[in-house]
Amino acid sequence: MIEAKNLYFKYDEEFVLKGINIKIKEGCFTAIIGANGSGKTTLAKHFNSLLTPTKGNVLVDGIDTRKDEFDSRKKVGFVFQNFEDQLIHSIVEEDVAFGLENLEWSNNIIKKTVEQTLDKLKIKNLAKRNVNMLSLGQKQMVALAGVLAMNPMYIVFDEPTTMLDAKNKNNIMGVIRDLNIKNKITIILVTNVLDDLKYADRVIILKDGSVLYDGKKYKLNKRIMDKAGLNDK
Amino acid sequence: MINKLYFGQYSHKDTIVHKIDPRLKLIYVFALSVFIFTLNKYLGILFFTLFVLLIAIASKISMKKLLQSLRPFYLMFVFLLVMYLIFSRNQLNQGIVVIWRFLMLLIMSYVLTYTTTTSDLVAAIEKLMKPLKIFNIKPRNIAVMISITIRFIPAMLLQFERLRESMLARLANFRNLRHIKLIMLSALEKMFKSASNLSDAMQSRLYNENAESHKIMRLSSNDYISLLIIAVFILVIY
Repeated sequence: MIEAKNLYFKYDEEFVLKGINIKIKEGCFTAIIGANGSGKTTLAKHFNSLLTPTKGNVLVDGIDTRKDEFDSRKKVGFVFQNFEDQLIHSIVEEDVAFGLENLEWSNNIIKKTVEQTLDKLKIKNLAKRNVNMLSLGQKQMVALAGVLAMNPMYIVFDEPTTMLDAKNKNNIMGVIRDLNIKNKITIILVTNVLDDLKYADRVIILKDGSVLYDGKKYKLNKRIMDKAGLNDK
Repeated sequence: MINKLYFGQYSHKDTIVHKIDPRLKLIYVFALSVFIFTLNKYLGILFFTLFVLLIAIASKISMKKLLQSLRPFYLMFVFLLVMYLIFSRNQLNQGIVVIWRFLMLLIMSYVLTYTTTTSDLVAAIEKLMKPLKIFNIKPRNIAVMISITIRFIPAMLLQFERLRESMLARLANFRNLRHIKLIMLSALEKMFKSASNLSDAMQSRLYNENAESHKIMRLSSNDYISLLIIAVFILVIY
């Protein structure tokens, strides 16, 4: 379980997160939604120890992210919004292997895991390709493969559909849902697109750094969405 | 645009040059780079050129792509030539030789990156630099830095091109110093943003500067033959 306890965070003077209290249980598909500047990405980066709380705590399976970055990061994978910047090596299979090399796995196991991961995501044909030559949709799948290969229990997707066309959007959302249902990976989807909520079990709405709503998706109503500034009609 | 940025991009092919041990390829490039600067006779330089072109052909490099990827350097060559013409016209031959040497260096590094994957290059650099560990220098940091440079140069050029087009669309004039300053500042800002994103991505994938490449590298008979060819070539031409 990922737990944020009375989480406050500020970059400069002003608090971006103000007293967040949430629990994300294993196996569920949680969407964190909010208008631009509501603190969604800042909150998500705390789950991967990329940011540590100014006040309060974030616990990943009981591990305090402030005290043990390495172990908490091992459990939580992160697919970035600018996934093009997430690709470190030029060749697909090498990039997927990057995290595994950091874990100091043996070469044979790395090779096998990379193959299996590319196969799972149906992108085995891209293994030898140069990442600079791939389409945006393909680059995102490679970024996901790099995270998935490390076998995390939780994966955070930061606005995964923002840069994609309709076909690639459906494709990545289908893959995310499969990871949750078939592979039992806990999904935390950060988004500001209402359409992306269709596979979520639970929705957390942030507004100005605080939780405005935390509950089942079907209980969401127009009043709450209006208040969060998420309805465009 | 990105398709024109061939320089530094690995291409998967089944050739002898691709199969040579990456540590040896690095050593060859270093040795030949030093060697070309010791050559003063035209005949030696001609044989050197033929040898390098032969390696490029053996690597199945398309000459069209090679010339295309060298295009960004042509301006530098012209600039060097003009400098010789203005300041030491009597040493123009010398200038042409200097430019030719640079060209050879570029082609050799092109062959290296065309025939070696970045992870092989990283592993080779790590292994060759292992002795530096006694000075507390982490070979993995240097190797990953080189790999990131190879990966991001085309991406940065593409970003710069997009920026240039978006400024041109709003009637920018790149003869205007203010507009040049603007494009440089915007490009730098984007570069720093990308660097910050990359640093986050590396942290989130548990970047470990002490991790060592587990790639097993053993010299094969092909490697010994290549070593012999390079050694004989250097001795004969020298």
